[in-house]
Amino acid sequence: VNGRSPAAQHEVTLLELVDRVLNKGVVVTGDITLSVADVDLVYVGLRVLLASVSTLEQPGATAK
Amino acid sequence: VSAGGRAGRGTGWYVYGVVPAGEAHDGLLEGVSGLAGDAVGLVAAGPVAAIATRVPLDEFGEDAIATNLRDPAWLEGRVRAHENVLAAALAALPVIPFRFGTIYRSEEHVREMLGENERFVDAIERVRGRVELGVKGFVATAAPAAETEAPGASAGRRYLEEKQRARRLEEERQRLKARAAEESHERLAAAADDATANPLQSQEVSGREDEMFLNGAYLVAIEREDRFRVALGELEQELGPSGVVYEMTGPWPPYNFVEDPE
Repeated sequence: VNGRSPAAQHEVTLLELVDRVLNKGVVVTGDITLSVADVDLVYVGLRVLLASVSTLEQPGATAK
Repeated sequence: VSAGGRAGRGTGWYVYGVVPAGEAHDGLLEGVSGLAGDAVGLVAAGPVAAIATRVPLDEFGEDAIATNLRDPAWLEGRVRAHENVLAAALAALPVIPFRFGTIYRSEEHVREMLGENERFVDAIERVRGRVELGVKGFVATAAPAAETEAPGASAGRRYLEEKQRARRLEEERQRLKARAAEESHERLAAAADDATANPLQSQEVSGREDEMFLNGAYLVAIEREDRFRVALGELEQELGPSGVVYEMTGPWPPYNFVEDPE
């Protein structure tokens, strides 16, 4: 839609992907299933990952 | 996927999604690598088949998966693998995507799960010939104050004028956001077979300084994808000059359109 750098595009796509793959889709009870708490932790880890990408993109951004 | 075999204590069956059994064949997923490098295959039961892979439980067992999820590199690789498998199937068949991390101890348990879920048959027909497109909409945050000032104006007066100007701009921005949110979703939904507006993401999660006003997902018939893009292009033309930006992703498997509304 709009021109973005490859790194920023990568970031958007991963976030979109995680949003769908971890939060959407059919939920059935498996012998092993992820708990909500596990998924929350994913977002913590992912923010660290994305923050490191966006820090490369925008020198002004602060990573937490 | 061979029945029984070496599915012992150390492996589980990871399920990516479900497809209609009558239309699926093993060649469909040839050359597609799964989560753990093992071949991806089909486990059929009646009218539906699960797309599944054998995974080692020392990586995907209850405790292991909870730990691995905290490793962003592991997560990214596995989440991309999950999506790649579904995307390969989606190219040929209607697909019901499963949420990440649904694992069974045996192939027999996968079959039992399929047998217990008659809803998959209807779900497949609802998404047949359709894909999901994601559209996010953003408005730019307030522009920095212009450096113009009336000659001779006092500092106090300049401060007040600047404050008024900022408030006016913010009000305009909020109006634009409300209008864009309403029109965008309405018009995109009209160009789709089904639509859902998901909760907006904070700037921290979206990773953008612009403020999100739309986080939509749209179920679109493959032959009407062009028409959907035209609708989005029209919105861009109308609202773009005011500072509205859209971001479209997809086509995706219909992640947002496979759970029955409660």
